[in-house]
Amino acid sequence: METNRTVQFIYNYKDYAGKDCEAKLDIKLPFEDESLEELVTQLLAQMDPMMRYLDEDINLEKELKSFIDREHQKFHDDYAEKLICQAANEELDLESIVRNTERLYKEELLQFADRIGPSDEDIFAQSFHRLVHSSSLEDILKRERGYAKVIADMTEHMDSEVETLKNSQQQEMDSQINQLDITTTSEDINNLLAQQYTTHNFVRKRYESELEAMMGHQKNEYRNWITSQVSQMFQVSPVSTPLGNRSSMFVSQQPSMEESFTIHLGSQLKHMHNIRILSANVTDLCSPLHADENLNGLNMALGLYSSSLCGVVVLTPSIQAQANKSIIKNANRSTEFHFDQMDVQLEKIEKQIRALNTSGTSNSLSTGSGSGSGNSAEGSATSSPIKQHVPKLKTGDFFITKHSNLSQSHVIFHLISDEPINSPSEINSRHPVILGLRSILKTASRHDITTLTIPALLRHEMSEDMTVQWCVRRAELVFKCAKGFMIESASWGGAELSTLQLLLPHDISEELFTTLAGMVPNVFRVANPKILVDNNK
Amino acid sequence: MATGTGTTETRRLCAITFFAKLHPGDVCGSNGLPLTPNSIAILGRSQRLKELQHEHLCQYLDVVRSKHERTIVVSEYVGCTLEEHVKRQTSTSPAQMLCIFQQVASGLDVLHGHKLVVHNLEPRHILVESRAGAVHVKLFNYGMHYMTKGGAYVPFPIGNIRYMAPERLLGANDNIKSDIWAWAMLLLEQLLQTELWPKLKLSNIAWKLLAFARNANTGGVVEKIAREHQRWDRYQQLPLPVRELLERCLSVLPAQRPLPAELLQHACFAALGDHSQANVAKSSPSPSLPLPLLLRCPLAQIYHLWQLAGGDVQAELKKEGLIRSEAPILSLPQIVRLSGASVCPPRSQSHLMDERVVLLKLQPLLQRLSRLPASVYFPLLHTQRLQPQQQQQQQQLQQQQQQQELPLLIRERDIEYQFRRVRLFTRLLLGYPHTAEQLQREAAIDIPPLLRGPIWAALLGVLPNASYAKIDKFTATSTDRQIEVDIPRCHQYDELLSSPDGHRKLKRLLKAWVTAHPQYVYWQGLDSLTAPFLYLNFNNEELAFLSLYRFIPKYLQWFFLKDNSAIIKEYLSKFSQLSAFHEPLLAQHLASINFIPELFAIPWFLTMFSHVFPLHKILHLWDKLMLGDSSYPLFIGVAILKQLKSTLLSSGFNECILLFSDLPDIVMESCVIESQKMYECTPKSITHRQHALRSQPAHVLDIGLADVELRHLQAEQCPRISAKDVHQLLMQQPEQLALIDLRSVVEYGRVHVPHSINIPFATVQLGEQRLEALQVPQLEAQLRQRIVVCVSNIHQHAVEFSHFLVACGVLRTCILHKGFNVLHSIEPNILISN
Repeated sequence: METNRTVQFIYNYKDYAGKDCEAKLDIKLPFEDESLEELVTQLLAQMDPMMRYLDEDINLEKELKSFIDREHQKFHDDYAEKLICQAANEELDLESIVRNTERLYKEELLQFADRIGPSDEDIFAQSFHRLVHSSSLEDILKRERGYAKVIADMTEHMDSEVETLKNSQQQEMDSQINQLDITTTSEDINNLLAQQYTTHNFVRKRYESELEAMMGHQKNEYRNWITSQVSQMFQVSPVSTPLGNRSSMFVSQQPSMEESFTIHLGSQLKHMHNIRILSANVTDLCSPLHADENLNGLNMALGLYSSSLCGVVVLTPSIQAQANKSIIKNANRSTEFHFDQMDVQLEKIEKQIRALNTSGTSNSLSTGSGSGSGNSAEGSATSSPIKQHVPKLKTGDFFITKHSNLSQSHVIFHLISDEPINSPSEINSRHPVILGLRSILKTASRHDITTLTIPALLRHEMSEDMTVQWCVRRAELVFKCAKGFMIESASWGGAELSTLQLLLPHDISEELFTTLAGMVPNVFRVANPKILVDNNK
Repeated sequence: MATGTGTTETRRLCAITFFAKLHPGDVCGSNGLPLTPNSIAILGRSQRLKELQHEHLCQYLDVVRSKHERTIVVSEYVGCTLEEHVKRQTSTSPAQMLCIFQQVASGLDVLHGHKLVVHNLEPRHILVESRAGAVHVKLFNYGMHYMTKGGAYVPFPIGNIRYMAPERLLGANDNIKSDIWAWAMLLLEQLLQTELWPKLKLSNIAWKLLAFARNANTGGVVEKIAREHQRWDRYQQLPLPVRELLERCLSVLPAQRPLPAELLQHACFAALGDHSQANVAKSSPSPSLPLPLLLRCPLAQIYHLWQLAGGDVQAELKKEGLIRSEAPILSLPQIVRLSGASVCPPRSQSHLMDERVVLLKLQPLLQRLSRLPASVYFPLLHTQRLQPQQQQQQQQLQQQQQQQELPLLIRERDIEYQFRRVRLFTRLLLGYPHTAEQLQREAAIDIPPLLRGPIWAALLGVLPNASYAKIDKFTATSTDRQIEVDIPRCHQYDELLSSPDGHRKLKRLLKAWVTAHPQYVYWQGLDSLTAPFLYLNFNNEELAFLSLYRFIPKYLQWFFLKDNSAIIKEYLSKFSQLSAFHEPLLAQHLASINFIPELFAIPWFLTMFSHVFPLHKILHLWDKLMLGDSSYPLFIGVAILKQLKSTLLSSGFNECILLFSDLPDIVMESCVIESQKMYECTPKSITHRQHALRSQPAHVLDIGLADVELRHLQAEQCPRISAKDVHQLLMQQPEQLALIDLRSVVEYGRVHVPHSINIPFATVQLGEQRLEALQVPQLEAQLRQRIVVCVSNIHQHAVEFSHFLVACGVLRTCILHKGFNVLHSIEPNILISN
């Protein structure tokens, strides 16, 4: 908006022979102060080299400086005058200037902002975080476990009841079919089928609503309890966590093949990271938290509102916002006390995708990222003149669900990948899925996710067409890209990724696992062991 | 670093914090590289502000960048804000008020001289300190506009809208006249003893200001304001010059407002001038309370010590609630698309600009250092410090010596120790170059990080002479492109060097060096070599340049010739010889797998290791390097090999290449100690290089300038030693020397060096690589811990025998240059006969 102006500076001087000379230079305004010397050099270049030794530059600089000071000030004054004239002549949209100014002040300065107190979520988060780092930790876990047990029992009960119902219906159906054309007609069977179906549905629905009610009840009760605990804690002097973080060492894990490395990244300044390569089912990383007696619950609770979160990348096809079925099931095994139940989260996300798509075609989207101009997410759902193809995310996009009741992940990145299951394709480092991985790493760095699991083959299952060569190629690509992104991440200014887990399909052969694990130290530079030597020897 | 000594009574440190703007999505700069985060750009720009020292400006001390683009600015803080001052004082006379504003104007004038604008002038940023009846004023937080590049790097607007000039609302920034407006508004507000538009909404104030702009020609801004606040009568009671000044300053058109310099010349300050001057003069000689000695030290040093004493700005801000830790999981986006679009939960208010100021407490530091005697604060350099009868002092000295034996990293964190060192070096630097020798001595112990830049310059013998300003750093040359490519890859993990300002400075330095050395060319690596100097002297390019200017001939003579192959080859051959000298087995192994130094060591030496190590390690390495001569880097190279010895010995060619392609973490302290040990125990002539910079003419018994050709150097695994060094060893440390005389028994009998071992070359079998094969009793014991010199009449014999010794793993094997006969010429005679 600010225009530039060029003025000419003419410098008159006498050269060594006493002859009058002049040097000219165009000077751009507004003047950036750093380059006065540069201009002097340029002017001197027009003169005889002798002049430099005659210290002509001293006087030249002085004159140039005062010239520039004068012109610089004039330029600014003129510019301001022009604006003021425009304002006086109503050539400027003063209305919008005032509006923008007010908006900037209100949105960016705390002093002028409409103070919103911390949200309920915030308060609860802080209370919980405090509580979990106190002696109440054990009580919390006990309570959570109790709740989880109830839900698990109910689910089990539902499952068994549905199963019995199914069996009895099956028997009934069988007997009817046997009687077909004897006492029953096909119409009867159809009726029966319909009736059975309704009963079945009814039973299921009843349980589900019961479950939902129970979860709602539990969540309420739990949150109230936490809040009350915290207010109690203020009265009693705080005791530090009895278990401490020592327990984080005892992560029990499903038996799987795994190998760990410590690596250094960076050409001069080295950053240390941990790399773990393991083969497991991705759902094992997102198994129900309180299913068995282990210390994961403790780990996850301690980490939930901390700045070292655990995340898992799960691949998902682009059909709607669909997540891995068994993960949903795992998440539903107990009440989600801290966030929405996973189904609800997914529903919301789907709604937002729809909003994204309707508004996304017209303007480029940006919300939240601080630029201040974005307001598109809420979207213009009112007017979508042409019904577009089914709204969906594309390969490389991802959506995020948050969890407090899964065993090894607070955050699940659902990365869209439409690679057909049975025909492994070749991709390169510019493929959207890879770029998606990069933006996941970026999100992780911005939001303090310090442990991240990524599918190293960009597949969750082995298939027959995945030859050893293909797997090696694919793994190499993912390793190398991950390495590149991690090096890059040092300049992102966020949290450093402390552990990167490379997940291989659970049904991978031991041989292939060894091959791929062997590639890790070749791609990443493994830290040298520190050997302490007695110098006095 | 001149700071007034009288202004320290309520000297305090404070911190403010804000978030820099995030770059939206994934964007790249014009050079295809990712954009520099704004917080880094701010950090780079703000360095310049640290240099501003003036009695009416609060000094900037530090800018810290923390996670997620948070920026923390640490600066000086004195007295209280103008707001509080007015509240505290029951009545401030107009004259006193004018006195305050005169000082503000003089602060503005200084800033204007530096082409800086304030743009956030408001009562909170004017700090007033009353002392003995006089008031002393300092501007605070005046650099916000500059460091954020006119607000471009931050999301929030800069400046209080009440005092904002109309043209700023319209988008015209960077004009000092806008500050004049703000200045006059503040003054008006104070003189009218009211608050401007206390109840008006933001938008209404903006409208008011715009209304002034719209009626630019009618003028009368002051009148309007005064009437609006029902203070017209009061206004009219003000003296005429004041009214006239206010009206001029509040002209709607900036051109009609005065510049700060004109402001100071104004009549209404004329009478005041003497008055306030007199006041200051009266108050300074009699401070009511003796100042703590520490507060007489430069503020930058106080801040440094405060940090060493466990001061943590972030923790202080956290305590005050300025850094709130919000659970990151709550702010996670729900959807992120490749296009950069995302759906996020609403932004939390903790990311908004909170303008509160947090004071940092100096009391614990003062207490911590109060026990120290004044002589530590202001050490004397030239008096006899050590008086044996003064027991206490001796005790202290002992304690100091004990401290000096602690590891460097501990010493660097020990506040008391650092305090002593910093004060001592401050004095020494003030006395430089007169104190050069003492400086060198003290630097050999260690160098305090705070003063490393100037200390290095002093060690290199730099004397600033304003020559840097005369070098053409701007005319385009053929090397520009390469420089342009290298700079964004040079130590970019460092915030200073990766900032746009850092890039600009580095470019200027490199271009200046190239221009100043027409005989040399720009070799890649010069950028890394320059980086440490720039890092240490970020605000003093000349010092950085001159340090580099002196550094290169000292350690890298002729390395930057267009054809430097002869120099590099000689250097690397010498490196091989030295590895054989100190690490025979390792050298033997590397030679056997053909892993020659050409494959890995060129970047080491061409950049003096600055390309392979991170800055913080280079600093410690160069601390010692600066004290040694041109051969010292070779020993660092050997020390690195030594540290990796076990890995290297078990590796083949490919593994070695891989290992060195990305040098593993080297423990710098042990590397430094090791190299120093080797440097000290190696006779000078061992490291003789034809191309090294020589300070003295060669002695007759030295190795002559062109005596050793490159092909000799490459053919001989062991270095040559001069007769002079052998003589010296023989005379002074005979226990360090083992002379192996390879001549025949007859010749040996005729004349030989006392205590030398005679192994006639003709009799030995060199096939079997064991010392025992020589059948000399207790040979190994005789050679252990000594410098083993092979002497013969026939040079080839000595060479072959020395190779044999290296293969046997004998340490410190060398060959006498010019053979046995040269020993005849030593006077007085050292040879004896049986």
